[in-house]
Amino acid sequence: MKRRRSLFLHLSHIRLLAKKFALVILFLSAFALMLVNKTDTILIEKTSNVATDMLSPLIDVLALPAKMVVRSYDYFRDLRQIHADNLRLKEENRQLNLLYDRYKSLEIENRLLSDLLNYVTPPDSDFVTARVIAEEGDAFSHSMIAYIGDKHVEKGQVAMSERGVVGRVDRVGAAYARILLITDINSKIPVMVESSRVRGILSGDNTTLPKLVFTPLDAGISVGDRIVTSGVAGVFPAGLPIGKVVSAEKNEIAVKPFSSLEKLEYIKLINYGLEGLLSEDDLQLKHEGGHE
Amino acid sequence: MSDELDENINSLFQRLLPLLSSVFFILLSYLPFDFMFLNSIHPAIALVCGYFWLVHRPDLFSLGSVFLLGLIDDLISSAPMGSSIFAMLVLYALTNAASRFLTAKPFVALWYGFMVLALVTMLSRWLVVSVYYSCFLPLGILLFSYLVTVFCYPLVSLLLAFVQNKLIQDED
Repeated sequence: MKRRRSLFLHLSHIRLLAKKFALVILFLSAFALMLVNKTDTILIEKTSNVATDMLSPLIDVLALPAKMVVRSYDYFRDLRQIHADNLRLKEENRQLNLLYDRYKSLEIENRLLSDLLNYVTPPDSDFVTARVIAEEGDAFSHSMIAYIGDKHVEKGQVAMSERGVVGRVDRVGAAYARILLITDINSKIPVMVESSRVRGILSGDNTTLPKLVFTPLDAGISVGDRIVTSGVAGVFPAGLPIGKVVSAEKNEIAVKPFSSLEKLEYIKLINYGLEGLLSEDDLQLKHEGGHE
Repeated sequence: MSDELDENINSLFQRLLPLLSSVFFILLSYLPFDFMFLNSIHPAIALVCGYFWLVHRPDLFSLGSVFLLGLIDDLISSAPMGSSIFAMLVLYALTNAASRFLTAKPFVALWYGFMVLALVTMLSRWLVVSVYYSCFLPLGILLFSYLVTVFCYPLVSLLLAFVQNKLIQDED
């Protein structure tokens, strides 16, 4: 009886101490989580996938009425500029027709030359169109969550809009996938300048304009140059459009993505069959190998 | 027995209402709005909700709720896990320290209070995440996000005030 009482006193003492230092303990937990995030990415990834699958349906439900409100606002806003848009589109259509003729002749020429050189064509791709249900963009991260349903999507697949690359699949849950945008600080894509074929890395920095780094000093990159994927590292195939250079200073080259990352409703998650990104199993093996 | 159960469920719901309403607003803030600038710069709604309930109903918004709100925000976002929890805890500590200046004050005074505390909180999170990535994150985007958050405060707090009124009615 005495022993039980002393145990009870002991427990209540611990509880009192825990209450007193609760804030400190929770601060330490937050730091511990960040540390685990940095060292054990697999554990955090799995937890995050489960959480995304649990929370995303709630966002999905909220999205419907909210989108209706925003669409009504857009409708009335767009009504005002319908005439100007019509004129611009007619002119754009005229130019596109000219480009289409040129594209057709280039396509035939390209096919003939490829046959002549016995060129091995890149692997076929298949894609899933996914609806964007959540977006985030601030100083800390740039990503989005897309609904993929029961379609098969793999980590590392390219995410594209109709204008160009927007990011890559970072995490895949049961019905939702998280897309890491090209503007996120964790995004590093091997790219090249389309005209000069100068290679570099497009590095996100959580601003709206990712930066082109690791380019030669005498690369001669100038404002307006188109940036496309280089295909190095085998995650993205070569030649996918990304954006164009909007400022080229000595120590900073900023690229504006072709896609309006803040206005995406649907994206294509394309599987090119490339295996440049380590799979979860590879990572696990590497992780275990590191411990041995 | 059934009445007692109903009463218990009601009471639990009332106690959870601040947390649930905050989660609702956080989820809402992640919707892909193509509305003015809201899609490029997201307001830190978790801070607005946390501050509102810590000032108005600290009895219903404990340290555990603060931690949980930060955790949910961390799980939805792709920022380093734990960074939002850290920010929420900083806000909790600051709001507690400044509670005597904030209790029973008019709306404008609370808004000013939020301006100061949110700035300190967001800067401290910025510093911690910058250390995490070993590089400084864009301060301009952070300050813009701060301004959006501050301007969102009146609207969100107005909506939360409805929830609070409902709570008071139920308690009466």
